[in-house]
Amino acid sequence: MCLEDSMSGAEDDRSSHAQLSSQVFLDLVDSVIADVASECHRIARLGLDRDLEVVEEELRLSVEARAKVADPSNNLETNSKYVVDIFGQTHPPVASEVFNCMNCGRQIVAGRFAPHLEKCMGKGRKARAKATRSTTAAQNRNSRRSPNQRYSPHPNLGSENQLASEDCSNGTVRENGKGE
Amino acid sequence: MKHSVNRPTTPDEDVADAYEKDELTLRESINTKMVESGEKENLMELVRDRLVECGWKDEMRIACREHVKKKGRKDVTVDELIRVITPKGRASVPDSVKEELLNRIQNFIVSAAP
Repeated sequence: MCLEDSMSGAEDDRSSHAQLSSQVFLDLVDSVIADVASECHRIARLGLDRDLEVVEEELRLSVEARAKVADPSNNLETNSKYVVDIFGQTHPPVASEVFNCMNCGRQIVAGRFAPHLEKCMGKGRKARAKATRSTTAAQNRNSRRSPNQRYSPHPNLGSENQLASEDCSNGTVRENGKGE
Repeated sequence: MKHSVNRPTTPDEDVADAYEKDELTLRESINTKMVESGEKENLMELVRDRLVECGWKDEMRIACREHVKKKGRKDVTVDELIRVITPKGRASVPDSVKEELLNRIQNFIVSAAP
C-alpha cells in the first residue's frame, strides 16, 4: 500500500481526497434528508399539520374579507346608515334598548350609556370636579331608596345619609339635567 | 430505525471497485476522527443551517407533503419518504453550499490524514 501510494503521486492523493470528501458530504446531506423525512412523517402521522391547514385557510379568508371591505366598489352598504352584519341583520348606529343606570337610577339608552356614565360617575375626560359631589349624592339617594338596607355599608348611618342627600339632591338634578 | 434504508446508489460507489477496501477503511478512520474531534457535529450544523437558509429544506418539506397527500397520511412510511425525496434532495443542494462544505471537509481530511 505504501509503495502504491508513493508511486501514484500527489495527484491521485488529491483525487482520492476529493472523492472522500464528496462521500462525506453526501453522507451529511443524506442524514439531513432523513431528518426532514422523519420530521414530515411524524407531522403527517400525528396530524399536526391539520391545524396548520386550518390556520392557513382562516388567514386566507381574513385577507379576502379585508380586501372586500377595502374595495371601494363594494361599499354600497357601508355608506348607508345601517350596516348588515355577518348574519344579515341590521343594527342602528346607537343601540336603542333602554335600561336604568345602576349609579343614578335614571333611564338610559344603551348607546348613550358610556357618555352618561362619564358624567354620572365623574371619572371621564369631560367630568368636572363638581361631578364628584353629584356622585356621592346619587349614591346616597340610591341607598335611601332601596327598601333593603342590607347592602348599605353603614346601616346605622341611614338618617345621616338622608340628611346629606337632601342637602344636595337639588344640585344633582340640575347638574345632570344640564349635562344631558 | 429497525432496518437500513434503501437508497439509490451514489455515483462514486461503483467507480473505484479495486480501491473499495482501502477506501472503506480510510473512510471509516476519517469518519471516526471527525466524530471524535467534534468536526462532524460542526459540519452537520453548518449544512443544516445552509440548507435552511437557501430554502432547500422548505422544498423538501413540500415534496414530503405532496407524497403524503398522494399516499394518504396513514399509509406513509419514513423509508418511503426518504426514498422519494433523496434524489431530489441530493440534486438540489446549491453549488455554493456544496463548495463550502467540500472545502471544509477536504481541509479536515488533509489535516487529519497526511
